[in-house]
Parts: sequence; structure tokens; C-alpha cells
Amino acid sequence: MRLLIIEDEPGIAGFLKDGLEEEYFAVDIAYDGKNGLDLAMTNEYDLIIIDWMIPVISGIEVCRQIRKSGSLVPIMFLTAKDTLEDVLFGLEAGANDYIKKPFAFEELLARIRVQLRSKHQGDDSLRAGHLNINPGTHQVFYDSSEITLTPKEFALLEYLVRNKEKVCTRSRIIEHVWDIHFDSDTSVIDVYITFLRRKLENAGCGNLIQTIRGVGYIIRES
Amino acid sequence: MNREAKHALKNTSILFKKWTVMSLRNRIALYYTIATAFLIALVFAILYFMVESIVYKQFDEEVNNEVAEVFADAHVTSHDFTSFSRFKNFIDDKEINFSEVKHDQKEAAKVDTEFIQLVNQEGEVINKSNNLARNVLIFKPGETKTIYFNSTINNSTIRQGQLPLFNSDGIIKGYLIVAVPMKKAIIVLHDLENVFLFSFPAIILTLFVLTRLIAGKSIRPIEKVIATAEKMTQTNLSQRIGLPYHHDELYRLASTINALLDRMQDAFQREKQFTADASHELKTPLAVVKGTLEVLVRKPREKEHYETKIQFCLIELNRMAQLIDQLLMLARYESSKIKQHREKVSLHLAIESVIGRLHPIALEKEINVEVRSNEKSPVIADPAMLEVILENILSNAIKYSPAGSGITITVEQKEKNIMCNITDQGIGIPEEKLHAVFERFYRVDESRNSDTGGFGLGLSIVKRLADLQKIQVSVISKKNLGTTFSLIFPST
Repeated sequence: MRLLIIEDEPGIAGFLKDGLEEEYFAVDIAYDGKNGLDLAMTNEYDLIIIDWMIPVISGIEVCRQIRKSGSLVPIMFLTAKDTLEDVLFGLEAGANDYIKKPFAFEELLARIRVQLRSKHQGDDSLRAGHLNINPGTHQVFYDSSEITLTPKEFALLEYLVRNKEKVCTRSRIIEHVWDIHFDSDTSVIDVYITFLRRKLENAGCGNLIQTIRGVGYIIRES
Repeated sequence: MNREAKHALKNTSILFKKWTVMSLRNRIALYYTIATAFLIALVFAILYFMVESIVYKQFDEEVNNEVAEVFADAHVTSHDFTSFSRFKNFIDDKEINFSEVKHDQKEAAKVDTEFIQLVNQEGEVINKSNNLARNVLIFKPGETKTIYFNSTINNSTIRQGQLPLFNSDGIIKGYLIVAVPMKKAIIVLHDLENVFLFSFPAIILTLFVLTRLIAGKSIRPIEKVIATAEKMTQTNLSQRIGLPYHHDELYRLASTINALLDRMQDAFQREKQFTADASHELKTPLAVVKGTLEVLVRKPREKEHYETKIQFCLIELNRMAQLIDQLLMLARYESSKIKQHREKVSLHLAIESVIGRLHPIALEKEINVEVRSNEKSPVIADPAMLEVILENILSNAIKYSPAGSGITITVEQKEKNIMCNITDQGIGIPEEKLHAVFERFYRVDESRNSDTGGFGLGLSIVKRLADLQKIQVSVISKKNLGTTFSLIFPST
């Protein structure tokens, strides 16, 4: 899952990136509104976190512009503006959630996961056939036996399971699993898919990930 | 007794209370009515007495005519009086003339004709016209001149003239008293009096009612002002009073209140902005430290990792402590009751002391601070505040100067005042932002991640302290050429 953080305070942006990357998210950072808006318009993010008071273009305006472009990406405000009017103003501008500074990192994480749930998901856990993924603890189970994965393998599997029954192209996988600093050599995906398939097969999961030749990969439950 | 006194006191206080809570409209009506009542009473009185005196004058003339007739008939004047006998015939004639009268009314005088009476100097009646019958005209003894006065006879008012009669030596020998009836005139005067007495309260009452109405109408805009003011709360200061059509005092009142509200709203807005900015500035480092430590303790890490993160947090905490210091200083100096110890201080020594304190930072950036001054006279200031001012300006100058450049401080006498200029060769301030540099939390460079990293409070502290000590502070700047801050001290 790839996140964009628009935050002008380097200290906050710094620990958010550290903490979220530990949680297997791909994180991009923009230090002002204009840069943030450019990134939001050119890349496909799973979630955007915006500070209200940022230079050049305000967070509110960035949020409005993103919504104006037709994007439905979950947006969360993370700001020191804490009056009721501010919260209402932020949510009305199109944000999905509003977190006041100072905040607890664990709460932010939990709220990010809430925003990433699909409509059919009652909690954070993801399922594909007998495969069960817990994004909170980064554990993967096949029936009751746990499969140990590296962070990148986990992030790749999580993305594929979240988009099960849909074809995930190589470029989209790159966009959503790796951050902006990764050069778009898609052959690295094939390498990780090979690792992942081997671990799943060893656990008895069979050929869960199917190749769509020349396009990408898909997970089918049937 | 005591209870009675208490009761009386209570009544008085109730009366006073009623007076103090009386509406403006009633009070205007009351004052106006009292003033007008006084005037009308005066006019009525003048009118009455004027009419009365005109009436009396006429009767006095009538009396005079009668006197002249008596003298003519008796062939005497008032200055060669010898004896009453000369009048006797005349009065006897009169007696014949009025014989009918005598028959009709033996007992009482008939009051619609004139009366004549002669008295000697002791006041004894010598002779009188028959129509007086048993009545006697009132005599006022001791008068040496002709006098006129009112008296009554048979309950009818008459006008009397009393004329002294002198002999050829100028000695009063007696008096001739002549009277004419005034019945009709008295009725007229009485009617006039009645008209005045009855119309007065009616006029006053009508006036009060009318004035009250008019006053009510003319103070209606005040009611509007009150209604608007009542609607206003601290959160809703946007309301304004509608201006009346006429450009009168009420218009001025309304526009003055509106202007006051503008200023208040502005002040509230600035205060709100300041609170928002302050809370943002305080929360940000707090959020950084909290978040960094939260992420740090989620997993076991290398020793070096802990050390870097803790170092980072310490820097943030130091910054926060610095901000709190500045906010406290600002809060302390915002209070108008701040104690100042204004005295004669050497500007020179203050500058030297500040340069000494900032020397390490200047040295680090290889910035040379030069003082050019021949002016050694002292200035009037609070020494501690003066150093805070100089330190803030100078540290800003060092902060925004490129490495290796110079800063010049000049002190000179300008007319009666001493002026101190602090000039750097730094990045300068764009002209459109120059006006705002003294505002709290204003930063010319908006990006907070710049390495200069101030809070935008330093110059607002400078401004506040300078204002307190009546030091004029101003700034001129050219982008990329440098900035000059000027302090003009009050003349000693």
C-alpha cells in the first residue's frame, strides 16, 4: 500500500515515514502543497495524509483540488488546527478522516487501516480462499499454519489479495508496493512473485497467484 | 420613631430608584415640560399684569377727569385751597343731581356712578356725594401725592384717587377722594385669570404627552442600537448597527460604535490568530517528539538508532523551550502594567554587551560586526529591555546574512534624538512583506523547514518593548542587498 504524506514539518514527516515503512507501507513525502498536489495527481496512492497549514497551497486547497479531479482516494487531515469548526471544515472539503496533533502513532496506523478496508471488509483481516492475512501483525496463515514472509513479500501479497479477482498490472504493482525512489524496473516483481509462490506452495496453498502473460498477475479464490 | 425613619428612607430610595430607571424618553419629556411650564407661567403672569395695568391706567384717567371736573366746578385748584366751603355748593349741586339716587337707595351706595368725598387732614369726612349714602370711601392718611388704589364698596371693586389739597403755603389741608366703579373691568380681569389658570395645566399635560411621543420617536434609533448590541456576543462580532437616515448625533453614535466594533473584531481576530499560531508552534515539536519516540519503542533497535533519535528529540525539545521562553516574554510585556526602570543608559555599552553575547554565532558564520559611532551621549531606556531589543535585531541580522558578509551598527544624533541603525548585507525582505515583519508569528520565509528556523516572535517582541519605551523602530530593506533596522530614542 502506497501512501502520500504532505507535511512541511520535517520532524513529523520523518517519523511518519519511518513508522509507516516499518508497517510495510510505501511512503512518499511532499513538503509543500504544490509539490504534494503534483504527486497526488501523477501517482496512484492508496491514501493521502495532509497537514492543513503548509506552504504555497494550503492543505484544504490540496484536498479540494484532488476531489475536483474526480479522485476518490482516502484523504486524512493531520493537523494542529483543533477547533470543531476546523474539523467540520476539513471533512466538508472532502477528507475522510481528521486527526488532531499531537496524536498517537498507533491510532494513526489504526485509522489508516480503517480507510484501507473495502466495503465488504468487517475488520482489517484479508482473506483469499484458505489464506488469511493480518496487516496489523503482518502474519499470514494458510488454514492454521503460519507462513513467514519478508516485508516486501508481505506487501506484494497484501496488495494482490486486496485486489483479488482483478488483474494487477506490473506498473500498478510497482506504484502501490514500492515508493517513488524506486526506479521502475518491473522485473523485480517477477523475482518477488517467484519467492512468494515458492513459500505459498511449501505451505500447501497451491498455485494461488496466476500469471496473465504480458500484463501482470491475479489471485483467484476459486 | 426609628421605624418611621427607616420607612421614610425606604420610600426615598424607591423614589430615587424610580428616578434612575426612568426611561430617557420620559426624562426628556419631563425636563422639557418643566422648562416650558416655567416659561408659560411667566408669559401668562406678564400678560395678566400688563392687561391689569392698562385697565387701571384707564380708570386712573377717568378718576383724573372727574377730579378736574370737580375743581372746575368749584373754581379752585389743588394748590390754593382755602376752605372746604367752596366745594360745598358743588357737592350740594351733586346732591341735587343725584337726588333720585338718594330716593332709590337710602342705605347703600349705588356703585355704577362716580363718588366724591372730602376729608380734612385728620381723615374726618367733611363732605361726600349723596350716592355714597352711608358708605365712606377709604382714606389713606399721610400721603403727600396723588395716589390711586383699589378698594371695595358694597362688595364691588372701585378705583379710588386720593388727591391732597394744599393751601397757598403748601400745607396739606385736606384730601379730595374720587372713585369710579370698575365692575366690568374686574369681571374681564377675573375671566382672564380663570382662562390662564385652567388652560395652564391643560397645556402642560398636552405638552408632556406630545413631547413624550416625539422623544420616543427621535430616540428610536437608540433602541435599535441596544437591540443590535444585545444580539452581539464574543463569537458573533460581525453584526453592525444600521445607520440612521439623517446625519445627526445618532448617526455619529452608530458609526462610532461600528468603528469600535471593527477594531474589536480586528483585535479578537488577531488574538485568535495568535492563539492558533502559538498552539500550532507548540504542538508541532510536541507531536514530533511524541511520534518519534512512539515509533522508536515499537520495536527493538540498534544502540546508534536510539542515540540519533534521542538527540533529534533533544533538539526539538530545546526549540520548544526557546519558543516557550519567547512566548512568556511576549506575554509578560503585553501586559500594560509592566514595570520599567527607565534611566540614562549608555547605548554604546549595551551594543558592546550584545555583540559580545552573539560573538560565537557571528564567528561561526565569519560575519564581522562593526560599530561606527562618535555619539557617546546616553539614551533613556530600560537597560534590560534595550538589550533584548538589540539582541533580537542583531541575531536576526546574523541569521539572514550570508557567511563572510558584514554588519554595521551606527549611532548618530538626528535632530534632537539619538538614532541607531543596524544594517546587514543579507537576503533582505521583499517590500510587500515589510509591513508585517513586526507581527507575531510572521515569517518572511514561510517554509518551516528552512535552516534559519525562527518562530516569527523576535521582532514582535522588539516592537512591543520599543513601544513601551517610546522608541521608534522602523525597517527598510532591499531584496538581496540587505536590511536596515532603525531605532530612534526619545529625546532626553
